[in-house]
Amino acid sequence: MEAVNLAAFAVLLCLAATLGVRVLRSGPVSVWDGFFYADALSALVVLLSAFVALACSIYAVGYFRHDERNGVFQEGEKLGGGRAVNKLREYYALTPLFVFSMILVALANNLGILWVAIEGTTLASVFLVMFYGRETSLEAAWKYAIIGGVGLSMALFGTILTYYSAHQALGTDTLAGLNWSVLVGNASQFDKATMRLAFILILLGYGTKAGIAPMHTWKPDAYSEAPIPGAAMLAAGVLNCALYGLVRFYILSSKCLGPEFASHLLILFGLLSMCVAVPFILVQKNFRRMLAYSSIDHSGIMVLALGFGGPLGVLGMLLHMTFHSITKPLLFFCAGNVQQQLKTDLFREAKGGLIHSMPLTGAAFLMATLAVTGAPPFSLFLSEFTILRAGFSGGYLVLAILFITFLVAIFSGFLIHIANLVLGPDPGLPPAETCRWKKSSVVGLALVIVVMGFWIPTPLFRLIQGAADIVTSGR
Amino acid sequence: MTFLQNPEFGDRIITLMAALVLVLQIAAVGQRWLVSSIRIFAAQSFLLASIAGIIAYFNHASHIYIAALLTLILKAGLLPWLLERLVKRIEIRREIEPLINAPLSILIAGGLTLVGYIVAQSFYHPEETSVRAALGHNTLAVAIALFLIGFFTMLNRRKALTQVLGLLSLENGLFLAAISLTYGMPLVVELGIFFDVLVAVMVLGILVFRIREAFDSMDVSKLRKLRE
Repeated sequence: MEAVNLAAFAVLLCLAATLGVRVLRSGPVSVWDGFFYADALSALVVLLSAFVALACSIYAVGYFRHDERNGVFQEGEKLGGGRAVNKLREYYALTPLFVFSMILVALANNLGILWVAIEGTTLASVFLVMFYGRETSLEAAWKYAIIGGVGLSMALFGTILTYYSAHQALGTDTLAGLNWSVLVGNASQFDKATMRLAFILILLGYGTKAGIAPMHTWKPDAYSEAPIPGAAMLAAGVLNCALYGLVRFYILSSKCLGPEFASHLLILFGLLSMCVAVPFILVQKNFRRMLAYSSIDHSGIMVLALGFGGPLGVLGMLLHMTFHSITKPLLFFCAGNVQQQLKTDLFREAKGGLIHSMPLTGAAFLMATLAVTGAPPFSLFLSEFTILRAGFSGGYLVLAILFITFLVAIFSGFLIHIANLVLGPDPGLPPAETCRWKKSSVVGLALVIVVMGFWIPTPLFRLIQGAADIVTSGR
Repeated sequence: MTFLQNPEFGDRIITLMAALVLVLQIAAVGQRWLVSSIRIFAAQSFLLASIAGIIAYFNHASHIYIAALLTLILKAGLLPWLLERLVKRIEIRREIEPLINAPLSILIAGGLTLVGYIVAQSFYHPEETSVRAALGHNTLAVAIALFLIGFFTMLNRRKALTQVLGLLSLENGLFLAAISLTYGMPLVVELGIFFDVLVAVMVLGILVFRIREAFDSMDVSKLRKLRE
């Protein structure tokens, strides 16, 4: 099943790239009477999801083989977690479902189907969160399912209200009434009071899924309990899907109500998320929970960028989404290697000096840390700088200064923790066993990150620009 | 039988049934037996299915019949049956004392209904004198109230299963909003939502079962190992 998964995701990535090229060449693609619809924005999200899925599935092979050798599943078996072989089969059956829902999110033309697909990602990933069957995994899965369920029901209410406000303007009872391609052209005639309430509900709903504060509480638990490849897909895949949903409604709402209403809300929630992440990263004891707070911080940054708005803000957001999706998995993979080696995810028990026993992981971990906190020359610096410029040119002086403050605080907290973990005197651990699957995924991703720091492929950049145009001009 | 063709009659029936739905919801707030809570949910879903059927009949909107039928089969039949089986297997019959006691909870539920009416007011366009607008007004208020009370139930109750019931009644509120505002979402979307609700309940059911096995309790307040 490993091979099937790998092959399927490799094909998926090729298809996603083809879709991207086609969208670039000949504009939006729509098939099946407009059931599926892809413009540059969808193509970008599909491409990122497919990339993350492939990277995670390569790493998963090494990760689960290690788990199998070390009898991790047998421990779970005692707790009623099911047999080891079944566990692996469960993972390799759930992941395609999970990825399929992510792709459907981006390709669905109908905003209702988009909701269904986002709910689908939750349902598939609940099982990934409770994968190990420990008591803590159950707790995390329960929190994730319930908070996600409530959040998504708010998003559904928002979708219904959007349909209602459009319904009055369009007067259609058919499927097309919720189709993006129909809605976006007529958004200016929607009922304003309804649209306002709808956007608030959507922001709360998809915001829960993206993990922006104060609806973020499921995130640290889910990310620290899910197996690493699953957690990486949650952090780098589902996050994009939720934000994609938010962006679609942002376009509708700014066409209907003018950009200010949505902007102010987005800025508020974005800054709040960054602010919440700071103290938890500074005093964090557990490196996997720290990654979750970093993800809360990054979704905050993206929401804030969307709130700053204007061509620069939107471009910054989409660049950030792209770079974040290639950087975050590497961080998770390194954390996974460390956790499997030391059998703990607490800084206190790790004792530092990892670079001596696992040189490759240690170096990659440091590099990924620098990359994810936005240190130059890595690409997240570029996107954060763009967002900052958008903030200044939009006249949000104080907010932009706050933004830098939070970034710096997170940078220092993150770097101190990881440097303490990786550097330092040799504690005399035996050298880690290496596995070529893990190694190739780590090295491959690291290469992509380094290359992207200096050179973004032109078609990719044009895709991002196209997507930004869609958001700003609403076409 | 001329009254069967009169839309105003349909409107009155729907308002009456929406009121019953609300009464059931408030009864569920005060209810502590799990099986009774599940049956109240089933009855509520049955009423919702009838409302959908009546709307479909008086407006000749055939796709709502399908939504009504699905509600009847899934929410009034299959889900309560699954949940009751779950209750039997885990052998827990009563809810432990909720955070807020029953009389006060009912009072809060009443307050939330008021909020529902206030929110629904903003959607009410008095210049539209059609039956449709008036219909939307009352049922929408009930729908918002259901949503809010479901939310409150989830916060107030500590058993995993009652939280699931809270989530389901929240979904019922959404369904009512969808059919009263716009005569239902497009059918494909409706189908997707039903499918999701079904899967969600199964996922949550499995979780409830596993929590019960691992913790020997269904009390979600025992789930507090994951702290900063």
